[in-house]
Amino acid sequence: MGHFHHMGMSSGDDNSTMAPSHHHPTSSASHSHDHMMMMMPMTFYFGFKNVELLFSGLVINTAGEMAGAFVAVFLLAMFYEGLKIAREGLLRKSQVSIRYNSMPVPGPNGTILMETHKTVGQQMLSFPHLLQTVLHIIQVVISYFLMLIFMTYNGYLCIAVAAGAGMGYFLFSWKKAVVVDITEHCH
Amino acid sequence: MAMHFIFSDEVVLLFDFWSVHSPAGMALSVLVILLLAVLYEGIKVGKARLLHQALMSLSISTSQQLIEETDENSSSSDAPPVSRTHLRWFLCHFGQSLLHVAQVVIGYFVMLAVMSYNTWIFFGVVLGSGVGYYLAYPLLSMT
Repeated sequence: MGHFHHMGMSSGDDNSTMAPSHHHPTSSASHSHDHMMMMMPMTFYFGFKNVELLFSGLVINTAGEMAGAFVAVFLLAMFYEGLKIAREGLLRKSQVSIRYNSMPVPGPNGTILMETHKTVGQQMLSFPHLLQTVLHIIQVVISYFLMLIFMTYNGYLCIAVAAGAGMGYFLFSWKKAVVVDITEHCH
Repeated sequence: MAMHFIFSDEVVLLFDFWSVHSPAGMALSVLVILLLAVLYEGIKVGKARLLHQALMSLSISTSQQLIEETDENSSSSDAPPVSRTHLRWFLCHFGQSLLHVAQVVIGYFVMLAVMSYNTWIFFGVVLGSGVGYYLAYPLLSMT
């Protein structure tokens, strides 16, 4: 893998307009190898200098900015857990309202019978399903953002992701578990 | 960083000290990653079982409280059992949250190991997930 990068650096030197801005490749091969490896860390580190976060304009340089990024990532992970729980709740609510659909039907002797229709699933164009789809897209995007944040290998940001996920699960799943307990305690 | 799968005996995984140079080291690393994937699948099943056990014990204890309340017909002894149940539920849920944090961290570690683009490590992850699922999921329905 090191040879590949070394060849890439030396081919860049052939273009005379690019040579002054590049690191001179006549230095030892291991040095340019290190230079290429520093751009994307592949091991965990703790630091707050020159940390790129997701977007090209978002660079962390000071401890204060790292603290702000920590809080933002923490809240994002908490929001992701809450979104998961909220989607489960919405799904359960919309399915219950469809499942037990009983309607009066005239019986054989003139009596009125209650016929219970069980409809499984949702219509494609119904509002609950469209809302679930929009929330699903948001959930997928946020989960990929959290993965990319963890991929920066920055120790502070990774701890923020894990702690935010734990706190979000603790706060939102608590409510869900209590609701499940009250309504489904006959299981 | 190479963006394609390669077969190699050299890789640095997750931490600075975990650098592999030899086939023996690579075999050991694949085994560790395999066990990590097995642990991940196990934690997923463990969380579901813990929640189910907590709900079962909680529903039993609340129904017992209701039976005691109707028998005794006194409102003074309500406070201690209710707070004991709440404390038990709080501890149970706190334990589940810790388990969730462990699941998130291990999941990300396995993702980063796959990101090393080393094909042996990738095989270890896939095999570990399969073995973990095979061992853990029967325990899910064994209640």
